[in-house]
Amino acid sequence: MIPQDRVKINKLPTGVPGLDEILGGGLPEFSFNIIAGAPGCGKTTLAHQFIFANATPERPALYFTVLGEPALKMLRYQQQYTFFDASKLNRSVHFINLSQVLLERGLTGILEEITKEVEAANPGIVVVDSFRTVVRKVLENEVQIQGFVQQLGLLLTSWEATTFLIGEYVESELRDNPIFTVADGLFWLYQTVERNSVVRKLQIMKLRGQASVPGMHTFRITDHGLQAFSRTLGLAGRKNKAPGAKRLSMGIPELDEMLGGGIPEGDSLLIAGSSGTGKSLLATQFIAAGLREGQPGIVAVFEERPEEYAARATSFGLDLNTPMKDGNLEVIYLRPLDLSVDETMQEILDAIKKKGAKRLVIDSLAGFEMALAPGFRTDFRESLYRMIYSLTGIGVTILSTVEMEESFTELLFSTYSISFLTDDIIRLRYVEIEGQLRKVLMVVKMRRGAHSSDIREYEITSQGVIIGERLTGYDRLITGIPRLGDESAPKKSSSRRQAAER
Amino acid sequence: MKGRTPSPKIRELAQRLLAYEAASDNLSDSNMPTVLRVSEKLRRPLSTLVGSSGFRSLLARALTLAKAQVPGLSAVEIKPDGSLEGLHDLGNPGQSAEAGIMLTAQLLGLLVTFIGEGLMLSLVFDEWPEFRA
Repeated sequence: MIPQDRVKINKLPTGVPGLDEILGGGLPEFSFNIIAGAPGCGKTTLAHQFIFANATPERPALYFTVLGEPALKMLRYQQQYTFFDASKLNRSVHFINLSQVLLERGLTGILEEITKEVEAANPGIVVVDSFRTVVRKVLENEVQIQGFVQQLGLLLTSWEATTFLIGEYVESELRDNPIFTVADGLFWLYQTVERNSVVRKLQIMKLRGQASVPGMHTFRITDHGLQAFSRTLGLAGRKNKAPGAKRLSMGIPELDEMLGGGIPEGDSLLIAGSSGTGKSLLATQFIAAGLREGQPGIVAVFEERPEEYAARATSFGLDLNTPMKDGNLEVIYLRPLDLSVDETMQEILDAIKKKGAKRLVIDSLAGFEMALAPGFRTDFRESLYRMIYSLTGIGVTILSTVEMEESFTELLFSTYSISFLTDDIIRLRYVEIEGQLRKVLMVVKMRRGAHSSDIREYEITSQGVIIGERLTGYDRLITGIPRLGDESAPKKSSSRRQAAER
Repeated sequence: MKGRTPSPKIRELAQRLLAYEAASDNLSDSNMPTVLRVSEKLRRPLSTLVGSSGFRSLLARALTLAKAQVPGLSAVEIKPDGSLEGLHDLGNPGQSAEAGIMLTAQLLGLLVTFIGEGLMLSLVFDEWPEFRA
């Protein structure tokens, strides 16, 4: 069939931020859908968002309640959400209670009543909540249920209504259930408590006629109702930007030189080191260098507040307050303890889009992980991969810091086994030399080019990180406890500052 | 049981609604007490919303609250179908009017408690399109 001969399926907005993207553009018009999940996971709220986003006086929504939450209570609670529009009630949105009908006349009565109301109102949307209670009454008669669902589906499709049946189901009921067979769309909502955090996820198990984003997507319920966060972070189908030849300065000429001219634009750089080695300072210098070149930046911090972050930068002679005021820099503080990676990423992405940012700092991955609900921490590595892939794909250069537990026998690149996720790695570490705890840095990996193999000493000064010469004359520097090598070689570096003093 | 007095605003709304209904030219309902006519008019949208048993429960609660305020309502009862009986014998016109206001105000007050004033008014205006608070 040639494309222009195919029936065009209109897609309706769900009214749930993020969900249209997951569905592949919206909900297919006239589809027959089921929203399933345990009590309290947001099924009714999702349906309400949909009806208030789409119902009109000409094509109203009929909301049938059956032996579930009484409509009076439903209205009481749902009007707390910002999407609830009281002016639509009884004009565009009609609530109809069928509890009595079910008790007295069973499935036949329900079908007759729905038919009567549908034919009278010409609805664009029909919701039956809770559908589970309808079929539970005749659970033993599968043929009767199948017949009922078939007739209901036929009726509502014929009358051009987009339908939601809401039910409290568990996944084990999926198999051989006639209701799920008839449905065009199957939305499954999950809610689990892990330690002290609530983790909410949704899955589009089935959606006829269009490609939805597969897998589990996190969602949150706020005063605005549900907000969904796509696994693809809304970047699915977007053409990735070809890696450019441009190099971005780290704000430290010696480090740029070690990196072969700076960080390739669109790369992901990891700075790994233990506490106090200057990871955050390098990250700040990276952002400040971008701002000097007119590149807006975003800093996502998890361990200190934006004002503290800016104040610390000031103590190193870096003014972040002015670009923050001018709108060229946004420091996002993300600390709630039950975040999902996708929510965090959505916030960062929104900031990147708003500022047109070219540089992003995530300080630190350990803080990021701690800010996640425990249930999401197990997926951290995979989530990190999606995040980095998505952001670098749109040309953003990412600098992440990661805290390392210092070992004096070996050199670890990362505690998260994420080195393969990053294009470039700079490793900072302490070394013991001549009774002093000193600091060295090395470029461990540059995916897109040659880099220095030097191990160079550096110092943290009031002007930021100052990198010295290659530390020669020692063996086993990377263990942290070097030993003297060739006695004739120079034994220590001279930093730029010392050189300047001389 | 200690009574719960409806707010002056809701009481005033009930009073005006009863007066509006009483003034409406409906000969077929002329022998029906005004409060009964109001209750019957509210029955339709409320039964649609909460079912006939839900409407009966709301009315029973309103009547219980009203009886605590106006002892003259003690003879009034709710039939299984949700309609009121015993409204014809509420004493003199003043007592009868007060009983009607109280029962209507308690019913409207319950709706305010559950769904808020905005939605309650929306239900009222749907049944009495010309009436305005």
